Amino acid sequence: MTVNQAGRGLSGTGSPRTGKDIAALEAALAAEQAASYGYGIVGSHLTGVKFAAAAADCVKHERARDSLTGMIAARGGQPHPAAAAYRMPIKVSTAAQARSLAILLERQVAAAYLSLVAVSDPALRRFAADRMRAAAVRAARWGGRPQAFPGLPASSLRPAGRSGR
Amino acid sequence: MACLWRSEVCRADRVGPAGGRLEDEGQVRAEPTRRLVLAAAGAGSLALAGCKGIAVLGPRPKPGADVVALTRAIAAEELMIARYQSAAAALAAAGGSGAAGGSGATAAGGTKAGKRARAMVDAVLAEHREHLAQLRARLVLPPRLATASPRPSPTPPPVPAGRHKILAGLAAAEAAASDRLVAQLPAVPPAVAQLMASIAASEAAHVVQLGYGRLAP
Repeated sequence: MTVNQAGRGLSGTGSPRTGKDIAALEAALAAEQAASYGYGIVGSHLTGVKFAAAAADCVKHERARDSLTGMIAARGGQPHPAAAAYRMPIKVSTAAQARSLAILLERQVAAAYLSLVAVSDPALRRFAADRMRAAAVRAARWGGRPQAFPGLPASSLRPAGRSGR
Repeated sequence: MACLWRSEVCRADRVGPAGGRLEDEGQVRAEPTRRLVLAAAGAGSLALAGCKGIAVLGPRPKPGADVVALTRAIAAEELMIARYQSAAAALAAAGGSGAAGGSGATAAGGTKAGKRARAMVDAVLAEHREHLAQLRARLVLPPRLATASPRPSPTPPPVPAGRHKILAGLAAAEAAASDRLVAQLPAVPPAVAQLMASIAASEAAHVVQLGYGRLAP
């Protein structure tokens, strides 16, 4: 789920900016593909309302995945196909673990959009920000502990503290 | 005039693999080596006044779109904090005296649900303080402006009576603030865009925390 090198190698297909855009789109795509796969596992351990919620969230990730695939192709890139299977961050055998997995997937997705929210194309920024918001909302719905800075690693925060008050 | 500090921003924008260190394989624009300088209006005029004399002291240069966007985000966070502070005070008052904040027969804060609401409001308030600190850290003011007496804290709109209305008001404010932040994204440099998008996501999640759109337990 890290930024893969493939997108960067594609910068030859257009301007350097397009290459950057494609690399950022690929990073988000990889996370959406993993989330689409992961929600299958989440849903298989849930029933009733929660199963329905997992199915609905799965569809949202699949839609995002398809949008990203289209955006990469439109920029002359070659979207990476999804893997046959993904290693999940935790083992799931109960409904509670399924919820935890959903939360983890959403956090990974939010983080995977960070590069895209920093590209210069305003439409891509907007798309990425909306997906980050949706991921944070879903994580909260699954009962995830609130985060002051969803998607941002602690290393990117300034030791501002005192001066900020 | 504006170009004096605009150029700082533009250069910071271009920090890439060669310029600044990109962490996590290019995911995070932390730009630790080159501070992103968003000097507020006034910095340019002071500098130019120094080299060209009093004649240049005309109208202040307009701040760039990035400075405006960041300043707005800071003001919005300050207002949000003020909102939460008055909401927390209203909930506490309702809890202490029984019916002070209640809209009728039931008190707003004395019950278990009231206590939960107060704890939640306090927790979200703490996150907004973190947001504000990070946003302020991105705005580098020229020394004279930075040491000037701080602006008075904004006055929040009156708090409605009753726990449900208080929380609904906060949720609506969160949703609106989140939307406004996202709308500002095109104007700011990459690292600030990442921060603002993250804060917008946090605010959208606050709506759920406040009790709207949560899954059945």
